Amino acid sequence: MAGEDERHTLLSSLEDRFGIPEAVFDPYLLFKRKKSWTLLRASVHLSEAAQLKVSRIGLKALERVGRFLKPTTRLVQIFGFAASKATVEIDQEALRRLWEGEEVPVDHNLDNGYVILRLKGDRVLGVGLYIDGRIRSQIPKKDMREIMVTHETTPRP
Amino acid sequence: MAPFFERYRDIIPEFPLFEESLQRPVPVHLRINTLKIEPTALFNTLSEKGIPLKRSSKRDPTLFYAPGLDSPGNLLEYFLGYIHPQAYTSCLASLALCPEREGLVLDMCASPGGKTSHMAQLMENTGLIIANELYPDRHVPLGHTLNRLGVLNTVITAYQAQQFPLRHRFDRILLDAPCSGEGTFRNLSPEAVYRPPRKENRFPDLQKRMILRGFDLLDQPGEMVYATCTFNPRENEGVVNFLLQNRDACLLPIDVGCVYEPGISGWREESYDRAVENSARFYPHRNGSVGFFMARIGRRG
Repeated sequence: MAGEDERHTLLSSLEDRFGIPEAVFDPYLLFKRKKSWTLLRASVHLSEAAQLKVSRIGLKALERVGRFLKPTTRLVQIFGFAASKATVEIDQEALRRLWEGEEVPVDHNLDNGYVILRLKGDRVLGVGLYIDGRIRSQIPKKDMREIMVTHETTPRP
Repeated sequence: MAPFFERYRDIIPEFPLFEESLQRPVPVHLRINTLKIEPTALFNTLSEKGIPLKRSSKRDPTLFYAPGLDSPGNLLEYFLGYIHPQAYTSCLASLALCPEREGLVLDMCASPGGKTSHMAQLMENTGLIIANELYPDRHVPLGHTLNRLGVLNTVITAYQAQQFPLRHRFDRILLDAPCSGEGTFRNLSPEAVYRPPRKENRFPDLQKRMILRGFDLLDQPGEMVYATCTFNPRENEGVVNFLLQNRDACLLPIDVGCVYEPGISGWREESYDRAVENSARFYPHRNGSVGFFMARIGRRG
C-alpha cells in the first residue's frame, strides 16, 4: 500500500493539474504496482484479504509516464466530475477524429500534459494528451469501437 | 427442434411452449450501472435516441429489456460503463443474495464479472468483494468488466473454488457454478443443435465439492446462493440435496419479484429432500430469458 507521503505526492499532483480535491479520495486506498497505482475502497475486511494470494487489486488508477503522472481513462470516468482544470470539452466530430488517431487543435491556455476529455453534455470520456495547443487521445482504442464515435450519443450523468 | 431437451418433458411445465421459446433469440436485457449514472437519465436519453427500454423487474429499477437493440456493446454508453448487457435471470442471482453495504462477499467463480459488478452496485462500492476465478485467461474479461463499470471494492484471486482457503468466513457467497449451460441454448437455425460439453458428466461432482466449500466458508449468520444456467437436475437439485445430506444447511425462501417454478423432488433414479423444493427454476418461456436455477442457502439455526 502507498505510504502517506507517496499518497499525498500523487494526489496533490492530481489536484494541482486537474483541481480534483485530494479529499475526494479519502475513502480509498492506493496500492503501488511497478510504475502504476491501483485504487481500492477502504474496508474493515481488508486485513482478511491480505492473507489471500491476490492477483489484482481494485482499479488501475495512475501511472508514471516520464515526468508526468497519468490518470487512467477509467479513473477519470469516475472522478472527472470533480475536476475544475485541465478539462477539454469536445464535440462528436472531434471525438471521431481523435478515435482515428488525429491530433485535434484546441483553444486552451494550458501547460503541456494530460487532460480530461469531456463530450459536450458533461460526460467524461477519458484522458487526452495536450501538447502545444493540440490534443491526442489516450483512450485505449481497443475499448472503443468505430460505431460508438460515429453515432449521436449519450445522456448527462 | 431440440431433441436433447426431450428428456425434460416430464419436469418442464408447458413443454411445447418451452420448445417454442428455444426458436426465439434471448431478448436483449440491460442493467443500468448506478455506480456511474442514474437510471432515469439513461432511460430518457436512450428513449430519445429511439431505443425504448422496458422495465423487467418490479424490485430493481436498474433492469430493462431493450427491444429492437441488437448490439448494446456498440453504444458509447457501453464504453462509458453506464450499461451492462446481462440476461435477466442472471441478474436475479445477485438480487437473491442481496449483499449489504460494507459486507464481505465471496464470488467463487467470478468471470466474466456481470454478477460481481452487480453485487458491487448493490453494495454501493463499499465493503469488499473477493472475486475468485481460477483461470488466468478469464481474469482479462473479469478485470475489463470491473474497470469499465467503475467497481472499486473488489480484489481478484485465483484459487480453485473447491479449495478456497478456509481462513475467513463471508457474509455472502455467490457460487455461480460451472455447468453444462443448457439454459443459454437457442435453436435459431436448422443447423443449431445442442451439444453437451464433453465433460458434462463431471460437472455434478465438481459442483458438489464447490458447494461444500462454499458452505464451509459461510459466516453465521450468512447466506449463499448456488446458481447454474442449466436445466439438468443432477447439476441443480442433486447438488443442493448433496449439501443438505452433508452439512447443517437449510434452504431460504427466494423473492426476486418474478415467476419461477419450485425445485423438483426427483428425476430419473434420483430423489431429493423435500426442502429442495425451496429452490427456484427459471424457464425461458416463463421469464423470456435464459434458463436458470438458484438456491438460497443458510446455516440451520
